[in-house]
Amino acid sequence: MALPVSLRNSVTPPELELIASEELVEIIPLISMERTAFISGAYGPLRPPNKAKIPLWMAINLKMKKKCHIVPPNWLSVDFLQDRLALETSRQEFSQFPFRFTEIAKLLLDVAPDDIQNSERIRSLLKDIREVRQAKSREGLQKIDHSELSLPNLCSMEINEIRPFFVRAMGVLTQLTRDPVADSQFDV
Amino acid sequence: MEDDYYSIDSILAENQKIQCTFKVDIPDMGHLDGGHERDIKAQSKVQLPLWLAFIIIYSDYADFTIPPPFSLRVRKALNAEAKSVKLSALVGAGGLWYGFGKIIMRLLDDAPASEMSELLTKTFQSRLVEVIDQAQHFAALGPAGGGGQSGDAALMFREGLEVTERELFLLAQESAKKIKQWYGSTDRLRR
Repeated sequence: MALPVSLRNSVTPPELELIASEELVEIIPLISMERTAFISGAYGPLRPPNKAKIPLWMAINLKMKKKCHIVPPNWLSVDFLQDRLALETSRQEFSQFPFRFTEIAKLLLDVAPDDIQNSERIRSLLKDIREVRQAKSREGLQKIDHSELSLPNLCSMEINEIRPFFVRAMGVLTQLTRDPVADSQFDV
Repeated sequence: MEDDYYSIDSILAENQKIQCTFKVDIPDMGHLDGGHERDIKAQSKVQLPLWLAFIIIYSDYADFTIPPPFSLRVRKALNAEAKSVKLSALVGAGGLWYGFGKIIMRLLDDAPASEMSELLTKTFQSRLVEVIDQAQHFAALGPAGGGGQSGDAALMFREGLEVTERELFLLAQESAKKIKQWYGSTDRLRR
């Protein structure tokens, strides 16, 4: 295969970030623009001070040019994250998050910290949540077997992080498990 | 580990020798044992590489004994604490303990085979978490760190990693590094 080894095992985080930037966010535009057709669909019109929903990549682009304010999604707030952190630490299972929350949160915090209230606090909350969840996926590793592993509510970035070695480990376990069907085939 | 015809690992695993006891006389094959005798006599013990032993055992020319890496002593040690057994020392450098075990498992019949499978699976599972933990720890240290100050037990464990586990270690380390790099890449160079 011509793909470099490092790219064969799974998607890279920047690639996930790219995929996540297709998600829609709300902005308050500072410029007006007619409804415009893009490959992924038509967005707009932008009429300040009305809110509009556009893809994240476009919002980031406009934000960099200081042509909009990004309205952070409701889960990107201190209250919400604090609740979730409490849930996360008190319960065994993973709590529910938007599938690509890690990527979106990082992009927004990088590009538009001024549009997010308490961005520093949010950053540290996200970090805590990440650590709690990592500890949980480590627990999951102990329960791994050859056929399945159920870790519901895992998010894209987390799945991506554990994918290479979880898949490999399960592959090894498949080899080590004695399968009567396969064995009888082998005998023939 | 795989059965793939082209898998180098699989070929290497088959290079391990096991002791076979021949049940019948086999003429003109004495060179297999080092070449002093002309024939292989019944009841003689010969160390054969697995790839050869396979067909001989299946054809019922010989019996084999469970090789030392899976002896009772090793089993007991693994049962007591799988993490403190040096798997790499059991099969030699670059050896595949799991791959070897898998082939032995194939040679065995029902009950012992299940037992072997359980031994392999349990050992793998109980060591896996430690492998991943250490991999992530080393990824977090970055290229500059990585010194051996993280405890003797950890160092011993790393030295005892078997080839398959080493592979997993690298995978986990690589992926943890990538994520860390991504989280660290805060400064956007976008206009």
